Amino acid sequence: MSTLERVQSALAAIGAKPLASREGTPFFSIEPAHVREACRILRDVCGFETNTFVTAIDHFPAEPRFELVWQFLSVQHNDRVRLSARVSGEQPHVDTIGDLFPGTQYSERECFDMFGIVFDGHQSHAGGLKRLLMPEGYDHFPLRKDFPHQGIEPDKLYNAWFKQRFERHEAEHADV
Amino acid sequence: MGSLKPIDDATTQQGFMATRVDELINWGRKNSLWPMPLGLSCCGIELMAMIGPKFDLARFGAEAARFSPRQCDLMIVAGTLTWKMAEAARVIYDQMPDPKWVIAMGVCSSSGGMYDSYSVVQGVDMILPVDVYVPGCPPRPDAVIDAIMKLQKKIEREQPLKARLSGDNLDHGIGSKTFVRAPNTAVSTRGSHAVLPPGESRP
Ligand code: SF4
Repeated sequence: MSTLERVQSALAAIGAKPLASREGTPFFSIEPAHVREACRILRDVCGFETNTFVTAIDHFPAEPRFELVWQFLSVQHNDRVRLSARVSGEQPHVDTIGDLFPGTQYSERECFDMFGIVFDGHQSHAGGLKRLLMPEGYDHFPLRKDFPHQGIEPDKLYNAWFKQRFERHEAEHADV
Repeated sequence: MGSLKPIDDATTQQGFMATRVDELINWGRKNSLWPMPLGLSCCGIELMAMIGPKFDLARFGAEAARFSPRQCDLMIVAGTLTWKMAEAARVIYDQMPDPKWVIAMGVCSSSGGMYDSYSVVQGVDMILPVDVYVPGCPPRPDAVIDAIMKLQKKIEREQPLKARLSGDNLDHGIGSKTFVRAPNTAVSTRGSHAVLPPGESRP
């Protein structure tokens, strides 16, 4: 039984549709609501112990705009499988799988940082869904297609920091 | 003038040189630069090669790289400065005692280089007053040594005594308004690095 058939029959319950993938990795499209269920099936029934990555593709201006992609690896079967779900909106939500595959926590944080996708229920050692690469307080999601590559006010946080620091220094040395 | 005494015999026998205080100070400063290696990425490797025995920065008296900004007077920004890192770089610069100089090593720190991007500072002169820019990706160690020689020439022209006597603010710590916005204007002909706040121009 090929990987495709094995996974397909297991995922049939949640209505996963096989997609064409260029290099032959089994690839399934699922509904965003079924993410956790699909991942649990892959882990417990099909033996995929490891999540390789969670990422997103921005298909702007097509709708639904974001395609989320999860890839899983089974060391036991030497197999890979990919799941895809389309979400849309300015702040798309999808369920976290961080509790099923703890290794996804960084991937989810990165995906949130770059695409602004909110993983509901995400809990990591950092205490929730936080930015990973960009500084705290950054306003934009840089890998979205409508984000200009030179950024929007890239020096905003630095300037705010510098101004605050300068004013604090002035206040401390007001008497001199 | 009553305090001026004729030179005594002991001094004349041992020999002496007449010079200006400025020249003496500059001579000392330019031949004992202590670099702060701000190695942020690939350029840092070339920086290490430059300090190492083959290129031997010790020939120019600038090999004593210290990893505490408190002991340094020459910041070599070697690498890609991101906006996230900019705050740290600025704090390190402010912690260095005066007088201090900055070399922007490589195109990344000079202009952002190939990283025409939201995350990279498009030239460290957006946040620091730069004295010498070194082109190259990465610049060869000899190019950076050339920059150090250029900086030495620049230090020769400074007037530290005059700056001190004229009450020029030598403390460019965080109290100074050294917030540079206009690139490439930081090459100062004065003895100090006071970079003016936005909107003010040099006389
Ligand atoms: S200038 Fe080139 S070598 Fe230097 S930090 Fe930038 S990319 Fe790296």
